[in-house]
Amino acid sequence: MATILVNGVKREVQAPSDTPLLYVLRNDLELSGPQFGCGLAQCGACSVLLNGKEVRSCITPLAAVGDKEVTTLEGLPTRWAKQRGLSADQAAKTLHPVQETWIEEQAPLCGFCQNGMIIKATELLERVASPTLAEIKEAFTTSGPSPHLCRCGSYTAIIQAVQRAATRMVKRSDVL
Amino acid sequence: MIATQQKVATSTTDVFGAFLSRRGFVKTGGALLVGFGLVSADGMQKTDVAASGNTLNAALPESWIELHADNTILIRVGKPDFGTGSVFTAYRQIAAEELRVPVEAIRTVISGDTDRTPDGSGAFDFLQGGMPNIRKAGAYVYQALLDLASERLGVPKDQLSVRDSIISGGGKSVSYGDLVKNQHLNLTIPVKGDVHSMFGLTVEGNPPLKPVSEYTIVGKSFRNSVTVSKVTAKETWVTDVRLPGMLHARMVHPKTLGSKLVSVGPLDKARFPNTQVVVRGNLVGVVAPTEWEAIKAAQQIAAGTKWTDWKGLPGNERLFQFLKEDADWKSTPAETSKKSNGDVASALAKPSKKLSATYQRPYLKHAPIGPTMALADVRSDGTVYVYTHTQNPQALRSGIAHMLSTSVDRVVVRTFAGPGHYGRSNGGNAGAEDEAVILSQAVGKPVRVQWMRPEDFQWSTQSSAAFSDVEIGLDAEGKMTAFQIDHYMPAMQDDRLVGAILAGLPTIPAPNEQGAVIGVRNDVHDPWIYDGTPAVLERAYGTFQIGQKSSALNVGLRDHSLRTPGQYQQNFPRELAITEAAVLAGADPLQFRIQHAREKRLIGVLESVRDASGWKPRSEPPSAVNGLKRGQGVSALFRGGSYWACVANIAVNMTSGAIKVERVTVAVDPGIVINPMQLKRQVEGGTVMGISMTLLEELRFDESGVIVNDWRSYPIATMADLPEIKVVLINRPEVGKYGQGSEAANALAASAIAGAFLDATGKPARRLPLKPDYVQALLRA
Repeated sequence: MATILVNGVKREVQAPSDTPLLYVLRNDLELSGPQFGCGLAQCGACSVLLNGKEVRSCITPLAAVGDKEVTTLEGLPTRWAKQRGLSADQAAKTLHPVQETWIEEQAPLCGFCQNGMIIKATELLERVASPTLAEIKEAFTTSGPSPHLCRCGSYTAIIQAVQRAATRMVKRSDVL
Repeated sequence: MIATQQKVATSTTDVFGAFLSRRGFVKTGGALLVGFGLVSADGMQKTDVAASGNTLNAALPESWIELHADNTILIRVGKPDFGTGSVFTAYRQIAAEELRVPVEAIRTVISGDTDRTPDGSGAFDFLQGGMPNIRKAGAYVYQALLDLASERLGVPKDQLSVRDSIISGGGKSVSYGDLVKNQHLNLTIPVKGDVHSMFGLTVEGNPPLKPVSEYTIVGKSFRNSVTVSKVTAKETWVTDVRLPGMLHARMVHPKTLGSKLVSVGPLDKARFPNTQVVVRGNLVGVVAPTEWEAIKAAQQIAAGTKWTDWKGLPGNERLFQFLKEDADWKSTPAETSKKSNGDVASALAKPSKKLSATYQRPYLKHAPIGPTMALADVRSDGTVYVYTHTQNPQALRSGIAHMLSTSVDRVVVRTFAGPGHYGRSNGGNAGAEDEAVILSQAVGKPVRVQWMRPEDFQWSTQSSAAFSDVEIGLDAEGKMTAFQIDHYMPAMQDDRLVGAILAGLPTIPAPNEQGAVIGVRNDVHDPWIYDGTPAVLERAYGTFQIGQKSSALNVGLRDHSLRTPGQYQQNFPRELAITEAAVLAGADPLQFRIQHAREKRLIGVLESVRDASGWKPRSEPPSAVNGLKRGQGVSALFRGGSYWACVANIAVNMTSGAIKVERVTVAVDPGIVINPMQLKRQVEGGTVMGISMTLLEELRFDESGVIVNDWRSYPIATMADLPEIKVVLINRPEVGKYGQGSEAANALAASAIAGAFLDATGKPARRLPLKPDYVQALLRA
């Protein structure tokens, strides 16, 4: 049995320690953000944040999580609320700006890869407030174990959603 | 099958071919009465649901449209969403328009569940020649509402007006909700077709449609209503469906496409105490309580399992030699297009200039981001529930019933969001569904089958390879006097359930001369658009699935539709050949197309793409700048009522052979643009897929099977390959129809890019993909 910190909550799981984190999140904790795409760290559909760094949960064994915090797509609004010191009431009504702009730009087509895209965008924007186009492309292609793949070809919309989110997050930082 | 007509009518009215009857007021006992039909308090329909065997009766209006007492509306359609969002955007807009309600009033869209929708068919051709079923169903219901209101208000129908669910006339008004409250009415909607066939039912008759000039909803950029749940992890994806007692399974698929099982590897019961191995014929499944145990146990069993060997494929290196020299193109007659006309032979006998060339396109994969996955529950009473991500649930239902030798009313297919796979399951089956059913039946519990990444490349269907021979004659003025094209492509649509094949259970036959949907027959899928050409001959030749006849499993390189199916294979050779002919004639390839066009909508998209892309006729060949030569290319296409034109601007690295697509401009005229934002996103996405197929994709296989097993061996476009994409939408309300928007953009890139390569280098690149090795060889030649 292991205890892991997921989206700010300590969770006890029974899975063997060599179980990839993806299956723990999906099957034991019934989270639906991270998806099984390849099991080979080649597509990014399964991405989560581990202490703020994007990792591929399909090749990350449960044992490697330790006391690091796992953030999934489900946890992004809480993460944002905590970073901005929002009240519980505000937090309950909040989406992460990346999620908001993903909706405004209508980024997903089938949407199966978008979990990883949103996680990657969040990691990028926490690190670089106003990324250039080259920095965005670098984040989604060469920064991790593989490019983040979208078979529907939504890359244009993703770039536009990242840029819009960057503007919004910078503005809100000024306000807060 | 035609849904049964309803009985009992106290009064009847003819509504433009539909049949309206009224049963008067009914007691509700406090339960909410919804729409024209009686529903129980829990919202589930109790009446008339099973008329066509566990599918909603398409003759009943409430099967399509439920009007609620609070003026909210629910619509139901058989076609499932597959990422284009058409059922959540276009269908809501079209239905709202016909019903004269705000689009927001349509709160709920139910699609793609066989027991909760009326009309079947699949996730393709959503706009059904401009007349989707929901449009006519909406129009019928609107007329029935006017009839009701006329009677209620005592005002003649032609003096009524409607705005936002309120019908007014003679100084009185009534809302839809009040009008239908406590009414149990019965409007019979005429339908024809077979709900289990690939194309499902079609709504018949001619209800008056809202004039396009009065549209207020179609044409606006409404958001896709499922985007929110998809980006906030609230969507129930197919991967999220769980049933009590559900077990996880992994398959051990045969070693080759023709291997039979010799012996199953031993299971280490100490390591995997709760695992079961199911063997049926050549089907081997490994079932365990947890996913990780199923994966590890399947790996262990696969390592010890023995199969016979088989070699029956040409291998991709020899593919085109095999297709040209060895394949049987004579067992099915060639199809000649309707546009073929004039004396091509004479015109080609004495042209001023002549182009003769052969063009080749390899096998491609649909390559969904998630491998196929399905959950099946075969219950002790013999009923079967399948939870999956299929484009054609009614066709899958029929295939599963056939496999189990049971009746379709024992099978229910429910669909959920999942990874798009672009045509692979438009005949019902994506891969894992039937295997999940077989395993669930064997172990007596719900079983979830998830294919792993290598299996999804090796055991799914692929998009057929093809080649085409072209001859073009030009006169002294540089005009095309004759165009001849002969298309060759193996069978395109293998809808057999692969698990049923492995298990030796009944399936439809392999694609043959008779054909299930289209069999081995090939067709001219790319409509001719250059009507100014005096002589045209287009022929299509088909052949059998490669390897199928010699395989002990009766499967070869199983083929299936991939977006623009067949048309992509044919548009690449045609459009590149037209560009080559223009160059041979000393003409500008874009102007050459306009000169040979007669249809003003085609000329319109060509002019739009020319202006928007900054196209400049070439006066002299480009010189290399920093080792790069740049070029521009153009392509055009007609599909599903829409005209398309595309310009690609590329840079060719003259040393490495790498091609970089720098800019793509696409102009589309679909007639009526339903939703500009969604159409723009679809065009952008299709363009990226087209670039991917042009530059990167080729299915590699040896003599025994597919050797691609991951994203390194089958690379697809990444964000690094993304060009600047400009989309021009041309709205033509006067056309009066909705043309298809989402599955043509992918076909435009290849011929535009190859045209740009010719422009940059003077070399025709007639074989896809345009990988650096091939490009270097062309540059050296």
